[in-house]
Amino acid sequence: MDRALKARLQARFGDIASGPIRQRHDETELRIPAGAAPDVLRALHDEPEFGFLMLSDLAGVDTGDHMQVVYHLWSETTSDWLRVVADRIPRDDPRTPSITFLWKGAEWMEREAYDMFGIVFEGNRDLRRIYMPPDYTSFPLRKDFFLPDDAARSPGGGVRHMERSHAPQGAPAGTIRRVKA
Amino acid sequence: MTALSRTWGRLTLPGKIVFTLIPLLAVLTAGLIAFIIVLGGPIWDLILANLWFIRFLVAATIILVITIPIAFLNIYLEMKVIALMNLRVGPDRVGPWGSLLSVVHGLKVLIKEDFTPTGADSIVFTWAPVVTYGAAVMTLLVIPFAPGMAGQDFNIGLLYFFAVGGMGVVGLLMGGWSSFNKYSLLGGLRSAAQIISYEIPLTLSVVGLLILAGTMSLNQIVMQQSGWFTDWYVFRQPLGFVIFFIAATAEANRTPFDLTEADSEIVAGFATEYSGMRFGFFFFAEYVNVFIMSALTVVLFLGGWNAPFDIDALVNVLNGVVGAVIPSFHIATPFSIALDPGSLGIPLLFVIGLAPLIGTLVLAAPFYLVRSSMRWWVALIIGFVLFNVVAGGLTFAWAYVSFDWVAGLVWFMAKTFAFVFLFVWMRGTLPRVRIDQLMGFAWKWLLPAALLNLFVTAAAVVIVGS
Amino acid sequence: MTTTAGPHQHASADDPRVMLDDQIGAFEPIPPYPPRTEREAEFYTLGDGEMFLNMGPQHPSTHGVLRVVLKLDGEKVVDLDPVLGYLHRGVEKLCENADYHQVISQVDPLEYISSLFCEWSPVMAFEKLLDVEVPRRAEYIRVLSGELNRIASHALFMGWFALDLGGLTPILWSFIERDEIVEMLAALTGQRMLFNYFRIGGVNGDLNHDFMSRLGDWMSRATGQIESNLTLLNENEIFVRRARGLGVIDTETALSMCMSGPNLRATGSPFDVRRAHPYSIYPELDFDIPTRSEGDSLARYLLRMEEIKQSLRIIDQCLHQMPDSPIMAKLPRLLRPRPGRAYAAIEGPRGQYATYAISDGTDQPFRMRIHDPSFIHLQSVGLLMKNNLIADTMAVMASLDPVMGGVDK
Repeated sequence: MDRALKARLQARFGDIASGPIRQRHDETELRIPAGAAPDVLRALHDEPEFGFLMLSDLAGVDTGDHMQVVYHLWSETTSDWLRVVADRIPRDDPRTPSITFLWKGAEWMEREAYDMFGIVFEGNRDLRRIYMPPDYTSFPLRKDFFLPDDAARSPGGGVRHMERSHAPQGAPAGTIRRVKA
Repeated sequence: MTALSRTWGRLTLPGKIVFTLIPLLAVLTAGLIAFIIVLGGPIWDLILANLWFIRFLVAATIILVITIPIAFLNIYLEMKVIALMNLRVGPDRVGPWGSLLSVVHGLKVLIKEDFTPTGADSIVFTWAPVVTYGAAVMTLLVIPFAPGMAGQDFNIGLLYFFAVGGMGVVGLLMGGWSSFNKYSLLGGLRSAAQIISYEIPLTLSVVGLLILAGTMSLNQIVMQQSGWFTDWYVFRQPLGFVIFFIAATAEANRTPFDLTEADSEIVAGFATEYSGMRFGFFFFAEYVNVFIMSALTVVLFLGGWNAPFDIDALVNVLNGVVGAVIPSFHIATPFSIALDPGSLGIPLLFVIGLAPLIGTLVLAAPFYLVRSSMRWWVALIIGFVLFNVVAGGLTFAWAYVSFDWVAGLVWFMAKTFAFVFLFVWMRGTLPRVRIDQLMGFAWKWLLPAALLNLFVTAAAVVIVGS
Repeated sequence: MTTTAGPHQHASADDPRVMLDDQIGAFEPIPPYPPRTEREAEFYTLGDGEMFLNMGPQHPSTHGVLRVVLKLDGEKVVDLDPVLGYLHRGVEKLCENADYHQVISQVDPLEYISSLFCEWSPVMAFEKLLDVEVPRRAEYIRVLSGELNRIASHALFMGWFALDLGGLTPILWSFIERDEIVEMLAALTGQRMLFNYFRIGGVNGDLNHDFMSRLGDWMSRATGQIESNLTLLNENEIFVRRARGLGVIDTETALSMCMSGPNLRATGSPFDVRRAHPYSIYPELDFDIPTRSEGDSLARYLLRMEEIKQSLRIIDQCLHQMPDSPIMAKLPRLLRPRPGRAYAAIEGPRGQYATYAISDGTDQPFRMRIHDPSFIHLQSVGLLMKNNLIADTMAVMASLDPVMGGVDK
């Protein structure tokens, strides 16, 4: 746990952050509104006191209530992984700015997040489905997409074609797993 | 009637075939005999009048047929040798040490579906393997295998070789173009570019040799290299030999120049869409080409069918050394063993009949007598095998000494298969070059080197020769 | 006599065999729908004298079922578009519906060349969620088996790379090495490929006699064998000339492409998770992080071969320092970690494997993100391949060493 990093982050991004900066094990978590992600990440990447040159991972998350895009960064200046959570992206129309201008390699990870969660990354020039077929309409990793054999939660029950039975609007309220993440 | 039909009904299928064939054959034979009696004279006259043509037909047929064992042998050699280099066992199921696998391969290729893809130009697609295979077979026609054993001895043999050999690429290009497949197209175009580029150093590297030899007849080039191995052209044209061999590798589409069929890039190139025997023809042509290129290298640079030593000179030395001690000792040169089995008359039949029996018994006896635990029939089998080995060896030695062509064929094949082995060795060792490296090598290195070789040879001939 | 034509005899306008000749264009790999993105529109527009070549998903050297659409100008690759998903099985979704122990066997087949590393990062993430301390002996066994697996993976890479450059022999020579290691790991874990060996809080079984005797036997001649395998390629002029200067990338671009592992280190950056962000017992071990500055395919190859030697050093130290302790932490059968988030990254043979796990307090992970280096590296193929020749497509791809199981998840 790098306390100094927390202090630095608090000083620099305290006003933008949408939640407290948390630390656990070797991870530091910074929570920001989705729209601020490009500015914050650019600052983290460019400013020498942070110098987070490496985008270690980009993940989409569906908490059941809203969407998140989670960036994990690495820098020589700290011994912690920095987790930047672009928070509170609405589930019905998830949109967030792309960071491909900073890390071109984020392109495919954003495509994956789009494919799996339907999060639209504005500014990504190649945002098409990457794993699923191009004519697929669902977003499989959303929490209202159930596996056919998930009898406990599946609205349709039984084994049917996944896309038919588990389209996003098909899920009745109260069956979705939720988490405070 | 009923008895006949009942009998016919009881016959198995082979039986029916045999019983149909026997009367058919009898009728046919009778017809043939009548035909010969009536028309035999004129036909015989016709044959005698066109003897050269008949001879050509026979030679061409033999050449065409001989490609099959050559290709089979090459394929087996390649599979086995590369397997050993890869620390694998290789083929070991069909025949002793898997040696019949290529035969089975050939059968498999024959019975596979012969598939023409939609969109392919079916006429060109069908003729492409024929052109490639035909070119390979036609080049084999001028190769002198042994003294007097050449399909045709042209006085422009080498020119014919390059002219006809270059036609093989037309087949590859046809196959690549007509397959309606981009991999094939790339392969075909690659092969055209590659073979046309390498044709130039290949031909130029031989021009120096031609200046020295003064003839294009392959037979005469071989004859000029008789005597000791130092008389071979490889010692007078080392640079030419190296260029020729590299260019020949590229001509035969062999690793490291097998870009035409690069399986890890363009998936067998021109052959991607081929299956069945049409693919088999391409496959055969490749291995026949390997043999032909090795044969030509041997013919041009390594003395062809000449032994690396001069047996007459050796015999003369022996005569001199032993003759100094025993004045009466003399072996006539050219050295041969005079054997006239006909002089024995009727007893020859007894000799032929008894020799295996006696030989087997004599050779089996030591095994049976020394090892008491051995069964008599095991000893007999061993004796029989040994007798065959000994008799075969003796016959071979006699034939080698007595007939020029046997000795010539032995040496020719030994040298040629040494080169085939070299091709296989390269395939087991080297990765593939890239197309720009391939072209750069041909035009920037091989061509200037071949020109230099030509220039130096010409200058040397002018200065020394005159 | 009239007969009804069977469906196979009936030629109609609907018969695909009839349609084919009119629809020659249908054979082009152009998508049958309007372009979805700017990039797609740009890629699927042909310039003057260009053509498409569809490579895969069935191609002998795409290392799995990868499809690459190449835009060619003659032999020159102008641009390329990898199309993924042929091996996609939604492992993240499967993990969300499996309990924490079952996840290990779900992630195993991701990178089936080096399965232990696929297990390692989820297991580490779950241990963070559960606040578990892993016994030291278990850590040592993890490192020991992991490094063995790294050697096996790199040995296979050597053969693959040579095979894609047209060399037949090295893959069979390197398979000897790989096979010995895999047999060894089978003696330890019970499986040759999908080991399913790491457990949350330790490993599945202790070192056994079979494994140790095989390992000792192999260690005594490993260095010599590997050296002799390397001479096959390192001194091969054709190989070196083809690999040198091929697919060059510099550190800055590599970082912006999110590359890691040997591919990044071949550009000169010393980033290695084992040192940059130490985990397990790596801080206590003495080994070097080899780097090279050229950033080309040859550098990537040579770097991996250097890593094999470093892994041998690590194995040696592990064997000498192996402590005596239990191999599993004390944990309940049913794991219900407190709600929380954990991120764990490890250094695999291909780069950084990472897992981001979210727990909602139930016995199944709420979200499990798997970060796979093959996926990341494959996307830079387009960058590296611009204006190279077709022959080098597979060579560049092989030098990045992607495994399609991991790419497609």
